[in-house]
Amino acid sequence: MTDWNCARSEERLSDYLEGILSLAEAAEFSTHAGSCDACGKLVKQVRGLVHQMSALDALETPPQLIPKIIESTLGPRRKQSGGWQRWFARVPQFWQPQFAMGAITVAATILIVLYTTGISPAKLKKADLSPANVFRTANRQVHLTYARSAKFVNDLRVVYEIQTRLQPDAEPSPAITPAPAPQPNSQPPSVNPQEKSQTSPHPSHSQSRNGAMLASLLHRNWAENVGVIVIGDIPRSPR
Amino acid sequence: MEPDAQLVQGCLRGEGPAWEELVRRHTRRVFNLCYRFTGNSTEAEDLSQEVFLRIYRTLASYRPAFGAFPTWLTSVTRNLLVDHYRRTRRDRLTDSIEDAMPKLENKQSAARTPDKLALLSELSAQLQQGLSRLSPELREAVILRDLQGLDYSEIQTVLEVPEGTVKSRINRGRIELARILEEMGLRPQN
Ligand SMILES: [Zn+2]
Repeated sequence: MTDWNCARSEERLSDYLEGILSLAEAAEFSTHAGSCDACGKLVKQVRGLVHQMSALDALETPPQLIPKIIESTLGPRRKQSGGWQRWFARVPQFWQPQFAMGAITVAATILIVLYTTGISPAKLKKADLSPANVFRTANRQVHLTYARSAKFVNDLRVVYEIQTRLQPDAEPSPAITPAPAPQPNSQPPSVNPQEKSQTSPHPSHSQSRNGAMLASLLHRNWAENVGVIVIGDIPRSPR
Repeated sequence: MEPDAQLVQGCLRGEGPAWEELVRRHTRRVFNLCYRFTGNSTEAEDLSQEVFLRIYRTLASYRPAFGAFPTWLTSVTRNLLVDHYRRTRRDRLTDSIEDAMPKLENKQSAARTPDKLALLSELSAQLQQGLSRLSPELREAVILRDLQGLDYSEIQTVLEVPEGTVKSRINRGRIELARILEEMGLRPQN
């Protein structure tokens, strides 16, 4: 009972924790650990460590590792010809942001066109869908609506550009960026060239605090709006 | 689920799918062992590939009588890890000399930051750092026992040392690791 010391405790620590010491040894161990601060502390630390390690999840296999191993042993693999695996491989692309955004834009465009041309989707008749009818109804309203919506889009752009320039440090939020972008799609095919060349502003480009820049921007936009209104509302008259 | 021994038989008959299944089933264990030992995911991936290449070439020599397939796989992995450790020892010695030179300190410590995988959880990362400071003998014993969950007799087979040696390495490894972690300021809680 007397020759149990710190070295002995260390030596038998794991056996003690795993409960494989004889009763007599276990009793001596406990007595020592209870009265020796260093050993008492060590027992706690190692017990905690073993517990933590056993609870630690195994790391995930890097996704490319298994294909690499198979290729390095069996050689390049032929593509899986199995039906469902191939089919599933394609599914994710439908959920990619570009695709989803595109689909939403197309749907929105159809709705806007129907609405602005005076066609209610609920009251659609087959005759309404004949090209001549669609064209006739559309022709009446499209010019006005287009001019208004084009101006609206430009206003949005100008507000957006001013905001990004006045807060150069603010991270341009990706949610804002697509806002002007879907609009060109909703325009009728007769987009005027000036409008087309002016693509949506990029929030990321040089965020200068320069007031002159802001002024020129406002000026440019004002000119564009006027241009759009002129082209949209009144037939281009000879000077 | 087919037992490993049947998959091995399939492989020896030249069945590709049997081999693929065997690889799929055991890659995670091999990768984890390599990662815990080296502390580097790129090295661990390369070594895992090497392990399976060797298994693939020597599969015909495997007999279930030698022990379960995972034990054999672990032995092969461990031997490759030891080879790799010896191979790269010279590099590590050079590194530690450079560590002593203050001018290179920044560059070295940048190269030494534990990679992304280790940062999955803070505990995992700290443990990884602690493990890398253990001698390879103690490190492998602790990893096999406490992270891979092998029992003493399996570890004995893998390390090819007597059971008493296995036990004392595990015990010393745990105590040293606990002290290293304490030095690093990590307090294990129950
Ligand atoms: Zn003591």
